[in-house]
Amino acid sequence: MKRLLIPVLLLLALPVRAEDVVSGLGQDVIEITSNYTGSNIVVFGTVEQSGALAGRDIVIVVRGPGSDMIVRRRDRIAGVWINRAAAKLEGMPAYYYLASTQPLAKVATPDVMARYGIGMEGLEPTAISSHHDTRPFRDAALRQLARRGLYREAPGSIDFLSENLFRTHVPVPADVPRGQYNVEVYLFRDGDVVSAQSTPLFIDQTGIERRMFNFAHNNPFGYGLATVFMALLMGWLSSLLFRQQA
Amino acid sequence: MEIYLPIAEMSVHWLTIIGLGALVGFVSGMFGVGGGFLLTPLLVFYGIPSTVAVATTLSHVTASSVSGALAQWRKNAVDFRMAGVMLAGGLFGTMAGVWLFALLERQGQMDTIVSLTYVVMLGAIGGLMLQESLATMRARAAGVALSVKPVNHPWIQKLPFRMRFRQSRLYISVIPPAGIGFLVGVLSAIMGIGGGFIVVPAMIYLLRMPTSMVMGTSLVQIIGLAVVTTLLQATSNYAVDMVLAMLLVTGGVVGAQFGVSAGAKLHGEQLRLGLAVVVLAVCLKLLWGLVVHPGDVYSLTTGAL
Repeated sequence: MKRLLIPVLLLLALPVRAEDVVSGLGQDVIEITSNYTGSNIVVFGTVEQSGALAGRDIVIVVRGPGSDMIVRRRDRIAGVWINRAAAKLEGMPAYYYLASTQPLAKVATPDVMARYGIGMEGLEPTAISSHHDTRPFRDAALRQLARRGLYREAPGSIDFLSENLFRTHVPVPADVPRGQYNVEVYLFRDGDVVSAQSTPLFIDQTGIERRMFNFAHNNPFGYGLATVFMALLMGWLSSLLFRQQA
Repeated sequence: MEIYLPIAEMSVHWLTIIGLGALVGFVSGMFGVGGGFLLTPLLVFYGIPSTVAVATTLSHVTASSVSGALAQWRKNAVDFRMAGVMLAGGLFGTMAGVWLFALLERQGQMDTIVSLTYVVMLGAIGGLMLQESLATMRARAAGVALSVKPVNHPWIQKLPFRMRFRQSRLYISVIPPAGIGFLVGVLSAIMGIGGGFIVVPAMIYLLRMPTSMVMGTSLVQIIGLAVVTTLLQATSNYAVDMVLAMLLVTGGVVGAQFGVSAGAKLHGEQLRLGLAVVVLAVCLKLLWGLVVHPGDVYSLTTGAL
């Protein structure tokens, strides 16, 4: 009996592939042009070999390029609010967006979330330097970035087009920093990650803006001369125009 | 339509910016001032980073001063030697100012210092103009002519390095004009102003230049200073935004033309009263921003540090 059971069990186990997530982006490059006012990118995906719908969750995280930030605190001195204390934060993502099928607390425990770096609460700079207690500065950075629309959590914002096909819209506001972004899609089963996929997304200035920015930084003297010349020319032209009218 | 500013790294509504340029151009044409002292705070209120606002406003000052300077030059009312001496002082002033600008920016004190300097300067100048214009209006109503008492500065006559300024019929030391130039240069770099509202009274009351020479000479000096400061800001702080400058200048040159014809219909003291009210309003708004509790005492700076 035992000799028969083992091959049968193996046979049963073989075709059972793991539950898996496959995802893609509507576009993998966003170009900031002169009339850019912000846009959306579509992140879509499908769950393959899906198990039961209950206990299955999707979390999508979009991370901007790591950047350095300075947080300053104002104190009142002689009636005037002046920047006094400061902290330098390194390696914070310049942009952070999270979409999930339900609030994070219901998806998994904070430990699991921390392990994968999921959730704004768990975001920490790689280094923080200050003469003061750093915690309030880190909290203030999160608060300010959230206010600017650069950090956001949107639980319940993933739409299911069918049982296994999902989609979400990630807002890309007008003032997002340039650089390489990462779109991470996590599949949770009963509170733990069973599959994940990461796709890069590039955001860059293009066209005349990019050339202007490069001009200003690569040849600042020429750029300054061009600006001055433009101003002088416009002033002169307007005086010509005005003299003809008068 | 929104337009993206490559250096300020933000989107602005282009009509709003042209409108701001036109409004300040109108005021500057009407009152015969450069308008930098109004434009910089207005841009900051709009949300432009103060570093970019300060460095870019000078293009607007340049453009709106050119037509006035050309008109005065045709009338032979420019003392180029005087403008040159002031500009020499201004060159050192603006270099010191740009260095100070970068230092304050690193320390995170730029916004506060810009606001504080503005509050002090605008408060003093607005208050003086208000007092003077009201006194003149009362005198006019009473039918008496109010004469400005000539101020004597014997110490200015005793300074060395005298130089002959033939156009202004002056033989004075180069130290006072170069010193004024230096001071205005510093202020130009950290406040984004041409400095007309300091240079003009200084020329009249301190240097005792003939009034006919003051307008043209100060305009030429302001253009020179604005050009030098723009070049320095572009090379050392990368803070000049050409797209923003273009929008401001476009509005500015048009607004200035309407301002000039509007200003011709008003009396001098009425103009000064109007300008005093505008100056004091901007001053109070800035003061309010300094003393009222900020919603969040923490602020965040990202990007190049």
